[in-house]
Amino acid sequence: MSKKLETELYKAATLTFEELGFLLPTPEIDEQQLNAQVEAAVSVEFEGPFSGKLLVRVCGGLLPVIAANMLGEEDEPSKSLQYDALGEIANVICGNMLPGIAGSKDVFHVRAPKMDESMDLPLPVAEVQVGLGMGRADLLLFVTRYPALMEE
Amino acid sequence: MALNILVVEDSSVMRAIIIKTLRLSQLPLGDVHEANNGQEALKVLDGNWIDLVLVDINMPVMDGEEMINRLRQNPATADLPVIVVSTEGSETRKEALMQKGAGFVHKPFTPERLRDAILGSLGGLDEQKAGDGTL
Repeated sequence: MSKKLETELYKAATLTFEELGFLLPTPEIDEQQLNAQVEAAVSVEFEGPFSGKLLVRVCGGLLPVIAANMLGEEDEPSKSLQYDALGEIANVICGNMLPGIAGSKDVFHVRAPKMDESMDLPLPVAEVQVGLGMGRADLLLFVTRYPALMEE
Repeated sequence: MALNILVVEDSSVMRAIIIKTLRLSQLPLGDVHEANNGQEALKVLDGNWIDLVLVDINMPVMDGEEMINRLRQNPATADLPVIVVSTEGSETRKEALMQKGAGFVHKPFTPERLRDAILGSLGGLDEQKAGDGTL
């Protein structure tokens, strides 16, 4: 896996969780965060000079927290809003990550986020974890067309 | 003058964030309309007076770029101020949108960035009065 891809993915993820989700990433992932159970996953597909998808999984009670923070509400938002919020987080991470990898000239078409319960996943070209409160987010980048990127 | 604004965005959470930001911006707001995609937005524009459109790019049914093209082709909306609020990172695409007369705010955004883009896009608004909410 490429260090550059992971660096760009981590940068885009931490920026988005901070500025959109109002969640401060922890410098390291502790045992509680590491053992947190997966509660939801969404993916965003993209097409351009290379194509693929970004999968974002959240663990340890983060799903309602992200939505409540984004909406500025104290009460727990509905499940549909919780998934909508996570989808938007994935969308913003993806949109911020792609220029970091490909450069600012290339054009990508990013599809609408969708729930993704896939169990049989191929090998990601990059995978990072971000510690957030008592939970964590896992981010997996898959590339389906552009072998050179997978070999970097 | 109160501004009637149309927010075109497929995420209901992002629409809520944008509308909350607008309400905190001290801009003189009139009606705030919402649409899920470009096609819905064109219907809203057909039946309502809109002063400014805030639009995402990547949306199902009709994306923001196509919607802006349709607006520019229609004499009634050819000069309507439009601000793209998007994660778009491609300078090539941003330049193409700016050539169509659209402003641009990158997600994630701060309330100040959105407010400044609106003031810039509307040009004639007196920033001081808008800041005081007295416009």
